[in-house]
Amino acid sequence: MTAADNRISDDALVSAMASGDQDSLARLNQRYGRALAAVADRILHDKADAEEVAADVLWQLWREASRFDRSRGSVGAWIMMTVRSRAIDRLRARKAREPRGTEVAGLSVADDPSNEIHNADRRRKVELALASLNDGERDLLRLAYFSDLSQSEIAERTSIPLGTVKSRMRAGLIRLRDALRGSVE
Amino acid sequence: MSAMEHAEIKDLIPLKALSRLDADERRAVDEHLASGCDECERELESFNEALAAMAIVEAGADGPSDPIWSLLQTRLDASRPAQRIEDRSKRGSSRGRGLAMLGTAAVAAVVAIAVSYAFFNSRMRTDTSETSNEIAALTAKLIEIERNLDATGDQLAALQAKVAQTTDLTLASLGPDARVARLAGLDPAPSANGTVAINHSQGTAMLEVNGLPPTPDDKEYEVWWIGAKQGPLRAGTFVPSSHGATIVSLDLPPQGEVVLASAITLEPRGGVEKPSGAMYLKGDFPRH
Repeated sequence: MTAADNRISDDALVSAMASGDQDSLARLNQRYGRALAAVADRILHDKADAEEVAADVLWQLWREASRFDRSRGSVGAWIMMTVRSRAIDRLRARKAREPRGTEVAGLSVADDPSNEIHNADRRRKVELALASLNDGERDLLRLAYFSDLSQSEIAERTSIPLGTVKSRMRAGLIRLRDALRGSVE
Repeated sequence: MSAMEHAEIKDLIPLKALSRLDADERRAVDEHLASGCDECERELESFNEALAAMAIVEAGADGPSDPIWSLLQTRLDASRPAQRIEDRSKRGSSRGRGLAMLGTAAVAAVVAIAVSYAFFNSRMRTDTSETSNEIAALTAKLIEIERNLDATGDQLAALQAKVAQTTDLTLASLGPDARVARLAGLDPAPSANGTVAINHSQGTAMLEVNGLPPTPDDKEYEVWWIGAKQGPLRAGTFVPSSHGATIVSLDLPPQGEVVLASAITLEPRGGVEKPSGAMYLKGDFPRH
């Protein structure tokens, strides 16, 4: 991302997209495309599928730019939420098509995050916020976000009682939100 | 809803953001949010922001964005006919805005002349209070005219956009290869009706629909082509107009596919790959 690009807010890009400005879509893709594909890939474990899901999300934003409701959250939050939801939908559809016994590649919650960063400052702040969580909370948040496991399945996989799973997820997310509050745009 | 219930719901919001609620909890939270609880809505937004920040960092972003842009470029190219239609209605809107601006400029000039005239008169007269009243009355009248002109300009722009859309719908319905299906309302909206038209030679597909209920925030209607070979194919998504008919330009079905029917279902916002929600309208294309 260039310094000049930094000066243009996501909101301004979406407004320009509403007027049919393809350059703004390209800029938004430069800004979020890789992250979208990375989140989808983390869920789907399929690069081509993940890129398609990322494109689906940006395409949806392109088509609905004029109706984007800024009062319901930031552009970044919307596209990350949407990519996760679409990736999980695709994962479910894939599971439904697969014959019984075929396992989707397992989730590795211990994967090291990539060294390639979307935004160095943002990354540093988020890592600091994640560090404020205890290990159990952090792992459960990752598992809940990057998988399609139900709460019971998470409890089974982690050998933690269901009630504890719920309370740790909740506490972890509140702690993360509070640690990030005001520090990440 | 009592304060206790609100507190209970608020406790569930983090799990809502993680999509980890069971069906009953999800229904209760969705109803609570739909009832307009700003506090819980803000809570949900804040958790979504935090999760988005975590996801960007945790997932990493080590690949190029070019492959995604290639996919987007293909879709942009494929949507060019639809874009052309939208552009035409936009030109209509800008013509309307142009007229409104012209009107505003004209009124501003008239105001200036009138005020100058009144000011000139005031120099000639000795009764300054009478002149002040005249200026005030003139100015009030001209402001009213300006307001009316602005409103007329907006109405004109909306009308021009509607005419452009209606023209596109008519064009899509005409021509030797045009195919038109009448859509009839089903159980969820029995009084709804619509028309869908495909015109490959013009690169146009349009839908006009009436009588559909408004969609919840997280849903929209999705239009489908029912192909003989490929089954349901996505044609487009829309939110119905709050007044009057809704006219939407659609993606054309693929060349070579025989479209037997068209249907409209209610789906998650942004649409889905295959129909999953309730069907609101359906109609068959006449056989050749």
